[in-house]
Amino acid sequence: MALRKRNNDQIPEISREICLRMLTDLERAKRPVLHATKCSLDNAIYNPKIGFFTPGDKKVATELNVSSVKKMSRAIFLLEILLRNIDSGAVNTKRELYYISKGEIKGNPRLKPLDFADQPESDDIIDFICEMLEVYREDFNCYANDRGGQTYSQQLIVTETLTDGETATIDLSKLGTSPFQPKNRPQNFTLKMSERIDFGLIVESEGTANTLVANGFTKRNKSILIGSQGVPSNAVRAWVKTIQDQLKIPLYFFGDLDAYTLQNIFRTLKAGSAASLIRNQDYSAPDVRFLGVLPDDIKKYDLFDYPVREQDAQEGRALKKADDALKNDPFFQDKKNKGLAEILRWLLKNKRRCEQQSYFSVAPKDPTMPEKIIVEKIKRGDFV
Amino acid sequence: MAPAGNAKTSDKSQEKTQPKSSKSISSSSTAEYFSKNLQQVGFSSQTKAVLTTLKEAVDNSLDACEEHGILPEIKVVIERVGVGSIKNSERIRVVVEDNGPGIDGEDLPKVFGEYLASSKFGRGRCTRGQQGIGISAATTWAQLTSASGAKVISKTKGQRKAVSAVIEVDIKNNKGILKNRETIEWDRPNGTRVEFVFDGRVQVNGEAGLLNYLLGTALVNPHVTFQYQLPDQELQTVERVSDAVPQIPEATEPHPHTMKLGEFIAHSHLFGRVKTDVWLKRGFSRLGDAAMDALPKGLLNQNVDSLSNADFEKLFSSIQSVELKAPSTSSVLSIGEDALSKSIQRLGKIDFFSVVTRKPTICDFKPVQIEVAIARLEARLSENDAPVQVLRFANRVPLQFDKSACAIVHAITSVNWRSYGLGQPKESLPQGPYIMAVSVVSPFIKFKNASKETIDASDELVEEIRRALMQAGQKLSRHIKAEEKAEDLEEKKRYIEQFGPILVEGLVRITGAKPEIKKRAEEGLMKILGRDTSHAEKELNAATARLEEQLEKERE
Ligand SMILES: Nc1ncnc2c1ncn2[C@@H]1O[C@H](COP(=O)(O)OP(=O)(O)OP(=O)(O)O)[C@@H](O)[C@H]1O
Ligand SMILES: [Mg+2]
Repeated sequence: MALRKRNNDQIPEISREICLRMLTDLERAKRPVLHATKCSLDNAIYNPKIGFFTPGDKKVATELNVSSVKKMSRAIFLLEILLRNIDSGAVNTKRELYYISKGEIKGNPRLKPLDFADQPESDDIIDFICEMLEVYREDFNCYANDRGGQTYSQQLIVTETLTDGETATIDLSKLGTSPFQPKNRPQNFTLKMSERIDFGLIVESEGTANTLVANGFTKRNKSILIGSQGVPSNAVRAWVKTIQDQLKIPLYFFGDLDAYTLQNIFRTLKAGSAASLIRNQDYSAPDVRFLGVLPDDIKKYDLFDYPVREQDAQEGRALKKADDALKNDPFFQDKKNKGLAEILRWLLKNKRRCEQQSYFSVAPKDPTMPEKIIVEKIKRGDFV
Repeated sequence: MAPAGNAKTSDKSQEKTQPKSSKSISSSSTAEYFSKNLQQVGFSSQTKAVLTTLKEAVDNSLDACEEHGILPEIKVVIERVGVGSIKNSERIRVVVEDNGPGIDGEDLPKVFGEYLASSKFGRGRCTRGQQGIGISAATTWAQLTSASGAKVISKTKGQRKAVSAVIEVDIKNNKGILKNRETIEWDRPNGTRVEFVFDGRVQVNGEAGLLNYLLGTALVNPHVTFQYQLPDQELQTVERVSDAVPQIPEATEPHPHTMKLGEFIAHSHLFGRVKTDVWLKRGFSRLGDAAMDALPKGLLNQNVDSLSNADFEKLFSSIQSVELKAPSTSSVLSIGEDALSKSIQRLGKIDFFSVVTRKPTICDFKPVQIEVAIARLEARLSENDAPVQVLRFANRVPLQFDKSACAIVHAITSVNWRSYGLGQPKESLPQGPYIMAVSVVSPFIKFKNASKETIDASDELVEEIRRALMQAGQKLSRHIKAEEKAEDLEEKKRYIEQFGPILVEGLVRITGAKPEIKKRAEEGLMKILGRDTSHAEKELNAATARLEEQLEKERE
């Protein structure tokens, strides 16, 4: 695997190395060049044995010249702040870092030219630093306020190690109707089962996840139930990966039958994305299976489906992307994911979609019907 | 100048100008028709009433001066004199004074009080006025809103005293009524002063504003000296920048391929009883002997007034299928690149500009000539995201309404201005502190609607305008490129000064490197970046050389 795993003890050292190299180049009036991993589909490798996208050898080189001197100066400036955070253990969001840098600049008029006009400008530099050092933003103690991932279970016990070394233990069965909310620091969780857990279910819609739990899903099934809230955030991705690695239970994804869900939500959960090549190894769960809605379910349960509105910008784009994916995306091209590619092809051909909530139409008077279908599908092995 | 002598033309013109629905009304109710439909001739709102009155009077002054080889001096005064009788209106006074040939006392009622009395109608020349409607409509509006006619003072050359009178329109009979006529002393050899008091609203700025009309008119009339006083403003003077009175070329006979069947038949009525072949040869251009041979012999020998509609149709369609030389382009006129370059300086402080005069050409079988002037205004340098200010002209009259359908705007948006260094959102006008003036001159401009505010966007015309714009764009881009290169160099130098030291200091802090390393790294960095600026310097020199070359050519 091309990836080196780094933790933040090594980052100061690597940073210093890079800076030293730049200085030496400068001394010789040679243009320093910074190399960052190219994060795009054409540099994404999918090996079915690994199960997620890994980076190829393509690099993006930034050479020092008049046009790049601003970007490089900004990168070195922010790098210094990030290294300071590692040193002190301070934690920040990107937005806070934006303000910290503005504060630094305010206090030192000489730095004025570096000033960021808005947050996307400083975010870009943070991403650039991460790609250059091949590290996660989280390694620099920079966390996003990740959404989604609300988790319910009667058997799961989480032990969290805090930055100061203390630990906290959370027994999810004691939380009542409140969910457990994972944060984006996977390395700090240790998971235990109070009783054998049969499976984990990730539900695309947060609302539907709540409904299933409220109607007794986790009481009747020894399971972990997670709401993904659309495209999974880093926190959700890392959390599902942690569950997969530590508990080794079967994992199923339940969401809409449409191109967007399949490519943007499910594929990201299972194999990561091209934009996050350097982090997929900790942010994807290759064992997750697609439980539904499957094209066959429509007939089997007589579900309500409806035509894709091609004029709708998002749906139209998703269809177009589905077509591209079949042609270019190594994930859907691999024969290991033949079944998923098959669904994409079905979507392209029939131009119909079916929502996860349509399970509620099967027996309108029975609130547990969706649960029954889900459990039955798992039992029968009716997933892809 | 004898608008009176045109009785015959006026009769014909009634048939042509009046909409079909009013066919039944007698010729004496022409004035009635227009007085009920003033909105069709520019009086469709309070603000437009002011603009149209001004425009009709100024266009007439310019036409008259041009006709008589006089360098025009025009003074305009617009004032608010009270509240209007219509809701939300003001009582406005518009005075336009010229040093033109003046109007004979006997002609005053016809000029200001009778519709379709024009010395210019249907002559196929590029005059501003064409129909004999304009100024009588202004009189009617004043009469309807403030019960006062046109107050006129006029003096022709050789007259010792001037005539002063008030003219009203006799709406029932389409006749002018002369009132308060007296002869007075006037301290000038010849000229005309017209005054209208009426209800309207003053809009000075914006696309449809008075200023746009005045400055636009100044731009395409380098030979005019303008004085104008707008409400609550000082008197402004715009001096002439050219001493040449434009020669309006004589009309050429119409080209048969430019006509529709109806026009073709109407054209024959002008000739009375002549043989058809004589009518064709005299009444049209480009119908030579070779072409005549291809036409039905039987018809050619008959008298034209005895032809039936079916005969006309047969004749017409055989003429349409004969190959003819394209119409002559000698009937158009141009302002000229030289005069435009000077005139555009009158629009404000300008840091650079480019002008293009295309050769006369034929579009849709009609002669046209396109001219373009683009200038960057210093005062607006901050307005980089605003669309450019478009000035449109048809026969040197500014067009200020219905911009989006106009051939000129179609042509502007079809050009890729980004390649000349201007910002331009997709399929839109380019952006920046520019004035983009496009003049279309043709004896037969096809307008999109009756109020003559948009030029019909035919493919051929749009393409011709587009070519002119692209040439102007290329010239402009030399200026922009040279400026960009200069800015580029400037920015590079600034970048080096600003970021060089910060970068090295940051690296030194992170690595804990020694001071001597810092010094050497700084020197090295300056060397590297210095190479970049010398490259930028070379590019700037090349761009400046190209611009100089162009300016040199323009001076020749
Ligand atoms: N200031 C002037 N000096 C001399 N002659 C004038 C002046 N104003 C008008 N005339 C004469 O009066 C005639 C009628 O003017 P009017 O504006 O009604 O018609 P027009 O200019 O011919 O056409 P249009 O209706 O298109 O304006 C003109 O053709 C011109 O001969
Ligand atoms: Mg007129």
